[in-house]
Amino acid sequence: MKHLLKKELTLSASPLAYLFIAFGLMFLIPGYPILCGAFFVTLGLFQSFQAAREANDTLFSALLPVAKRDVVKARFLFCCCIEGCALLVMAAAAALRMTLLQNAAVYRENPLMNANLFALGAALIIFGCFNRVFVAGFFKTAYNFARPFVAHIALTFVIIGLGETLHHLPGCGALNAFGFEQFGLQLALFALGLLAFAALTALGCRRACQSFETIDL
Amino acid sequence: MAIMTVRGLTKTYPAFQLRDVSFALEPGRITGFAGRNGAGKTTTIKSMLNLIHPDAGEITCFGLPMPGNEAQIKQRIGYSTGTVSWYPRKKIGEIAAVTRSFYPGWDAAAYRRYLALFGLDEQKAPRELSEGMKVKFNLLLALSHKAELLILDEPTSGLDPFSRDELLELFLTLRGEGVSVFFSTHIISDLEKCADDVIYLSGGRVRAALPRRQFREQLSRPGETLEETILRLEKEAQQESAQESAAEPAKEAEP
Repeated sequence: MKHLLKKELTLSASPLAYLFIAFGLMFLIPGYPILCGAFFVTLGLFQSFQAAREANDTLFSALLPVAKRDVVKARFLFCCCIEGCALLVMAAAAALRMTLLQNAAVYRENPLMNANLFALGAALIIFGCFNRVFVAGFFKTAYNFARPFVAHIALTFVIIGLGETLHHLPGCGALNAFGFEQFGLQLALFALGLLAFAALTALGCRRACQSFETIDL
Repeated sequence: MAIMTVRGLTKTYPAFQLRDVSFALEPGRITGFAGRNGAGKTTTIKSMLNLIHPDAGEITCFGLPMPGNEAQIKQRIGYSTGTVSWYPRKKIGEIAAVTRSFYPGWDAAAYRRYLALFGLDEQKAPRELSEGMKVKFNLLLALSHKAELLILDEPTSGLDPFSRDELLELFLTLRGEGVSVFFSTHIISDLEKCADDVIYLSGGRVRAALPRRQFREQLSRPGETLEETILRLEKEAQQESAQESAAEPAKEAEP
């Protein structure tokens, strides 16, 4: 697995996958739907899938002395690495907004979603959906990524829409907490996001391994 | 004991069928896999490498069935396919470095030797190579990890006559070192130059699988070259297929 991950990082990945990690800094932009940053990170990963397909990566990997399911697992691991890095960037931005900048007028007067633990949990759900919908969808054929990516876009924008709407609903204002207000609730929401990410990724990986075993390359 | 055995391999596509393909590869021998374009050579090879799933049939390699032993078997196999370009924008050296990490038996000296023999530059990317040089690069990866069996899909396609000759000579050298070589080709003179055994595939069926000398003795007419024999067999196979196709609607029309 270590060698396959190295192959993913050095040969298969598009430089854009690394570059787009910086979109995690969108968590600092006031008056902008910050979860779009998570979507742009998955866009970088999508570019990697495109580059890998053009480089005959799937066939190359399948010919290596590894089990076919490990080829799939390595791709998931690569996605999780990029998503993990992006989450760290987002977490750093959110921490800045929760501490030093928690009373900045530009953020306090922001009608859109605040960067807090709930937002990080929602970003994790977007990453989980990418792994479940797009990555698992890609491995149904190992070449067709248009349909799964369109499905991922649709789902992501529903999640972003929900994220931006929920805190405006009566009784849901705590979702948009500033600083360390409602910390227990915020932490629980983040944990829920993490759980959803783990479950969606595990489901996607299992489905992708099954599909990849049955398709002809 | 055969190094690889293919038994009753069948695969149906909408417009093509591979039918009951069976043969065995003996250790330390060069086997030429001949047939025209579309005969089913690549489908057979992909089945041998577990890249496609046959509808029926069984493949064993080194006495082991491919399912469940894939990684172990592929460690001992070298594979190269025509002019497929791996990672066109990466440097050859980078691709080789990553590939090397998968093979504990990687032979750095052999890698350097073949790099020089094929005139490849590690600093170049596959997209900068001619079609023939891409074939050589694929061969370089297949030859550098002490494989016991080389499975090569059209390794001579796109090569100039000098390189082709060098490659066929190399097959003979590898055979001397105990390596088995299985290569597909539609260039019959390649078989005459180095193949010990010939498997001839036409219309998805194995028409003959014999040692080359026996192939000539049993199937060639007096004065015929191997190429002329295979061309004649191909025409006969086509006529046979046409007759079968004509007979099928008549059979269906019967009450």
